[in-house]
Amino acid sequence: MKKIKVRICVGTSCFVMGSAQIQSLEFNAPSDIADEIEIVEERCMNLCKDITRKRNRGPFVYVDDELIEEATYEKVVAKIREKLQK
Amino acid sequence: MEDSLYIEIGTAQQQKYGEDCFGDTIYSKKIPQERRIISILSDGLGSGVKANILSSMTTRMAMTFVESNMELMHSSEVMMDALPICQIRKISYATFSVVDTQLDGKTRIFEMDNPPFMLIRGGKAVNVRYREISSEKWKDRTINISQMTNQEEDRIILISDGVSQAGLGNRLYPLGWQRQGCLNFAIEKIRKNPHISAHELAHAIVAEALSKEVGGHAGDDISCVVLYFRKPRKLLVLTGPPFDENRDKEFAEMVADYDGKTAICGGTTANIVERELCLKCEIDKTSFDDKIPLCSKMEGVDLVTEGILTLTDVYRMLKEGIDTDRDNGATRLANLLLDSDKIDFVVGTKINIAHQDPNLPMELEIRRNIVKKIFRILQDKYLKEISIRYI
Repeated sequence: MKKIKVRICVGTSCFVMGSAQIQSLEFNAPSDIADEIEIVEERCMNLCKDITRKRNRGPFVYVDDELIEEATYEKVVAKIREKLQK
Repeated sequence: MEDSLYIEIGTAQQQKYGEDCFGDTIYSKKIPQERRIISILSDGLGSGVKANILSSMTTRMAMTFVESNMELMHSSEVMMDALPICQIRKISYATFSVVDTQLDGKTRIFEMDNPPFMLIRGGKAVNVRYREISSEKWKDRTINISQMTNQEEDRIILISDGVSQAGLGNRLYPLGWQRQGCLNFAIEKIRKNPHISAHELAHAIVAEALSKEVGGHAGDDISCVVLYFRKPRKLLVLTGPPFDENRDKEFAEMVADYDGKTAICGGTTANIVERELCLKCEIDKTSFDDKIPLCSKMEGVDLVTEGILTLTDVYRMLKEGIDTDRDNGATRLANLLLDSDKIDFVVGTKINIAHQDPNLPMELEIRRNIVKKIFRILQDKYLKEISIRYI
């Protein structure tokens, strides 16, 4: 099965808002999802500067092509599990 | 100017065991107008606070005299007269070694009572002839004056007697490590690593001297100064996107055109260079750290890091010393800065809107301010040659 791609923004503001914690998915993800995901860190994805779209705050994480705003470790894990159940 | 030598000064000190402060003083100064560097090592009589005061006074006085090209004998007499007389030993006393060097390589060295300086050229020790002069007033004092023309890859090493006498009385080193022992050690170090920095060599010598002492307890103040003459190592640091987007291309091309090492600090900055020069830039996972965002790898660029957080941590480390137990973007950048002699900063002044969010931690500095702080500390504390350009 194709792995779920998790893209984490590690630009300055996402990093201080908590993307550092989400990065730990790479080393200690819950066992049910550990083998199903691929973690990719990205430099600033420029979503924080996109004023016209009125986005919420970072950290920004893409799970496959779905964007999570104000992401947390729990939110990302929940989204991954949701994807896996489909 | 371009092909003149650069002099890197590295110092290391260890105070006598049980003392709070150094009895030896090292003082270096750069005089840019005359393209001249003066470095002084003085060993105060005894140890601790008293010695510290004697040696500090000596270095400051000597610096003023040498800087203003005063006649040497007269200056040293004034210095002897000015130093307070020790109540126990009934003499006023502090030794000194002064290296006065110009960037075209002409160097004069004055020494009084310190172990003789060492000159290492082409991996071998070179003996420089000296002239001895003595004062009418202080008969038992002589000053040795040496002159030489320095070449690329020369190293001058000054030590205090704490180095040459390290381990004194020890079974292995009944007479101490001796100047010769230290010289052999330095030559061996240079043979293994011909480009060892002055800073590294000075620290290695002090650490080695300390290891000779019984129980690792320094019996006297141990100090070492290394002057390393070499071609300047250049570094370009790009940080921040240009204010005007139309200048992105010009900005990125500075990286391609630079004749030295290059570093990029800032995610958006890296994105601009990646886009304009069509280079591939990938995250480097070996730099993982929970405090500092990851580095990236870009072809032709020596280091790519995140911006503000990394720079803020670099500034902290330049003040407090570089963390040796971590390997992240900030330690890599700090080491790269210290390994370079001539550093050109190009600072893009565009404000990052996302950083103005009041919910973000207060520590998020404005780029211009943090670069200015780094600039000052590199210039004043580390004597680097620095230029800064805003775009």
